[in-house]
Amino acid sequence: MGSFFRKWWRLLAAVALLFAAIQVYVRPSPALERAEPVRAAGTALFRPFYLAVDFLHQGVSGIWTHYIALVGVTRENERLRREVAALQEKLHENRDAQLENRRLKELLRYSESLERRTVGARVVGHAISPWFQAIFVGTGSEAGVMAGMSVVTPHGAVGRVHQARAGLSEILLVTDGRFAADVMVERSRVRAIAEGIGGNFCRLKYVSPVHDVAVGDRIVFSGFDGSMPKGVLLGTVVSVDRPKESLFQKVKVQCAVNFQDVEDVLVVLSRPSIPFREGRE
Amino acid sequence: MRHFLALLSLSYLGAAFCVWWLSGYVPWFLLPDFPFLAIVFAGLFVPGISGFLCVLPPAVFREITASAPSWSMFLGSLALYFATREVGRRLFLRTEPHLLSVVVSLLLAESLSIVLLLHLAGVRPFTLLWGAQEAVRIAWTSLVGVPLFLDLASRWRRVQE
Repeated sequence: MGSFFRKWWRLLAAVALLFAAIQVYVRPSPALERAEPVRAAGTALFRPFYLAVDFLHQGVSGIWTHYIALVGVTRENERLRREVAALQEKLHENRDAQLENRRLKELLRYSESLERRTVGARVVGHAISPWFQAIFVGTGSEAGVMAGMSVVTPHGAVGRVHQARAGLSEILLVTDGRFAADVMVERSRVRAIAEGIGGNFCRLKYVSPVHDVAVGDRIVFSGFDGSMPKGVLLGTVVSVDRPKESLFQKVKVQCAVNFQDVEDVLVVLSRPSIPFREGRE
Repeated sequence: MRHFLALLSLSYLGAAFCVWWLSGYVPWFLLPDFPFLAIVFAGLFVPGISGFLCVLPPAVFREITASAPSWSMFLGSLALYFATREVGRRLFLRTEPHLLSVVVSLLLAESLSIVLLLHLAGVRPFTLLWGAQEAVRIAWTSLVGVPLFLDLASRWRRVQE
């Protein structure tokens, strides 16, 4: 028996750890909360990098615009090109500033219309994982952000705060498979549960075949489950399938927000009315 | 110590650059999983307790950068390390095809087990397109991993000699 364990202890350790991982996934243990500071410290390691993303991006594009793009032209052309490039850069900067200004104004207007306390946050990174969908924003617990709070833009819902730390929060996107919330069809007021299915899509669950849902319908959050603000747009119905053998319709919704392009978001600073356990789904 | 520092920097810089690239530059399925490669390298090439120590930083990085339930990715990464140790001791031959098949099998096993777990939990966000993209990610990570492993292993051997 002893020799068996000596021979196969690595494999047994792998199996035991795998079971522990599954156990933690299915039923999170309160004992692991004591190890959260380690996780928080680990997040701090990546924080500077997340925050440096914009800086690096601007730096690289600046080097390209000011140096590499001008190599190999004659002196005269170089002067003219430099002038044009400088003007274009200025124009681009102005346009960027104008766009940012417009975006922030839109956020502010939307924030006022929400009638709830909100805080603006800048998207600083995306989670690297083929299985889970999340983004990171550069505003954390110091601004009052807490797990479970909803995250929106003027164009529609983004998701929910999964974990909030100092200076950084992780947002679970509405397209993640673990996201679910009560929604309704804006036109016919039919209620359903929206669930993320990856890509830029969600599906509606429990829509009876007798209910009126059509392609092009706008889907908004009902607010009944307390997880997302009422009336916030989730997206538009892109397909409705009514299989004869099924009890429910298959409704696919394209999210209103493109999560790859979103730059600024609003975190609604009100606790969800349903208790939300941080970092667990 | 050299191994520890090499794998620490590989996994940290790899994960950090993936975070940057993912922010609108490169789609997720074209990004190699560097912390995963660091764990597999430690399992296959770094013997004893130092191998285990080398695995801890990449496992923490995976835990932080993948938005999984708390600590499940860390424990899963340690399980991956021990499985790789076992493979390294019993099956592994130091040739490119064998190395490639080991990395592909481990990536595939990890991906399938997470998909199965999510499926059993009632989460079904996986489509045929996602499967194709995941296949590209597995192939790409393996193709990056094999020359990286051989290079790191030969450098380490030279240092030892």
